[in-house]
Amino acid sequence: MATQSAPYQRELIFGAAIRIFHWLRALAIFVLIVTGFYIAWPFLVAPENSDVLVQGYIRAAHQIFGFMLVAITIVRAYLFFFGKSDIERRSFKDVMSVQSWITQLKSYLWMGHLDKAGVYGPLQFVTYFAISVVALLICITGLVLYANVYHEGLGGLIAPMANWLTALMGGLAPVRIWHHYLTWVFIIFVVIHVYMAVWSGIRFKHNSVDSIVSGYDYHKKK
Amino acid sequence: METHEALYQQGLARIEQLRQLEPRSGESLQQKMQQNGITRRDFMKWSAAVTTMLALPLPFSTLVAEAAELADRVPLVWLHLAECTGCSESLIRTDTPNLDTLIFKHVSLEYHETLMAAAGWQAEENLEHALAEYKGNYLLAVEGAVPTANNGAYLTVGCKGHTGLHIVQDAAKDAAAIISVGTCAAFGGIQAAAPNPTEAKGVYEVVDKTVINLGGCPPSEKNIVGTLMYFIMFGKLPALDMFNRPKWAYGARVHDNCERRGRFDAGEFVEEFGDQGAKDGYCLYKVGCKGPYTYNNCPTERFNHHTSWPVLAGHGCIGCSEPNFWDDMADFEKPLGRQLLHSLDATSDTIGAVILGATAVGIGAHAVASLFAKSEEE
Repeated sequence: MATQSAPYQRELIFGAAIRIFHWLRALAIFVLIVTGFYIAWPFLVAPENSDVLVQGYIRAAHQIFGFMLVAITIVRAYLFFFGKSDIERRSFKDVMSVQSWITQLKSYLWMGHLDKAGVYGPLQFVTYFAISVVALLICITGLVLYANVYHEGLGGLIAPMANWLTALMGGLAPVRIWHHYLTWVFIIFVVIHVYMAVWSGIRFKHNSVDSIVSGYDYHKKK
Repeated sequence: METHEALYQQGLARIEQLRQLEPRSGESLQQKMQQNGITRRDFMKWSAAVTTMLALPLPFSTLVAEAAELADRVPLVWLHLAECTGCSESLIRTDTPNLDTLIFKHVSLEYHETLMAAAGWQAEENLEHALAEYKGNYLLAVEGAVPTANNGAYLTVGCKGHTGLHIVQDAAKDAAAIISVGTCAAFGGIQAAAPNPTEAKGVYEVVDKTVINLGGCPPSEKNIVGTLMYFIMFGKLPALDMFNRPKWAYGARVHDNCERRGRFDAGEFVEEFGDQGAKDGYCLYKVGCKGPYTYNNCPTERFNHHTSWPVLAGHGCIGCSEPNFWDDMADFEKPLGRQLLHSLDATSDTIGAVILGATAVGIGAHAVASLFAKSEEE
């Protein structure tokens, strides 16, 4: 029985830090979407006693998870550039290669295999880059709104920058409405992201969804 | 504080300088107050209130009082462009002439289309005379937006048929300071709402000088007179916020000082106008209050002698003192997050178009892909 060898080999593609921050970010995004929609349209009925600050608590949760998202966005950007493994950075080579783009786009149309230098395909890389930019924008607009809620500490510290940005965006109402619309980018992204993760595992017969939990991918031995 | 000391000295010097000038009318403020039944005590209370409103320490109240008495030395030119005169009305139509109204009349008002007796060529001459006579010294107040399309042809004023654009640029050239009174003059207001066929703009966009923007449709009489008083007292502009609005008036959001704020934090909301929540004074956020996005002192200063303001009267703030408020704050009776749901049928039409479009693209893509795809990988 010991002589039987597995036809697949195992490879660590996502380090612990990347996995932990992925799920923390997923948690933050989930809580922020729920509390954010609640703040946009408060639907719970007020308790008898107005000392219970329903809106206040939900806003507090939104702010705390918002700060978490800001922190993760910064850490994740740092890890991308300075992380020990260059498996993410290597994908940039594919982004610059027209051949790689054609290979990936064709593979998504059921033509041929994926062939990547790093862990992501070029379209995937650009999508993740775009969602990171959106995360940055939603963090910034969130902080601008926050500077109007609390005027001491961090809120007071960022107030001058917040005012500058508010003027640039034409007032607080546009800041708030952009914050709202950017949420929808995350919602649409999550649906496509989960679908693509499952689909590519089935289509290309490798470990896909599970690898962001365990960190491992499996390939057929060459 | 050192800065206050310096400001106080500046005020003293300014008042001394004003005292040297000839008063424009023979009647002193004291005489005018007597005629209107306003006592000296009322005047001192008013001075202290204005001092506090401008966020100055109490010793400045004597400066305020002196500046008010000397207001007839400061020439004021008030232009009306594309507007409804609501801002002037806010200031002058009080049930009894109070001190704010009186100060406005006491200021050496050189030109004001609603208030002046002159008409036609005479009026035009008065304006030209004021601009030449007080060159570099007059305070310019503008009410109304500036239409700029077709070189400003959508607004002409007076017998010479000058465009509003021409008049405001001409008057701004030699003004000591410029105040845009109201949202139209400040940011274009309703005239600048989409699709803005006349390309109406705020005054600051057509002149190359700093303009104090007093947003509001209309701004409260306190904010107008307070700004006038600040200029008369110190001969300079007050501290301004990101949209050049005086910080003492526009430093906090309506939401921050709202009397219904506790209701907001507690999650007590009016669901529809006339429900029990509305009767109990619950928060108006869900029926469209834009107080969270609006910087103004309405909750503390209120309107019409501190009588009331929109939220106290039971309707949400519509954000009238913010740039582009007619478009950005729409719909006035819905929260911003529901902005896209303008009309049920139009919304379902848009959703229908997106769904059917996606269906066509999906079927097309599947059909084309299945032509090329192999039945199974490997």
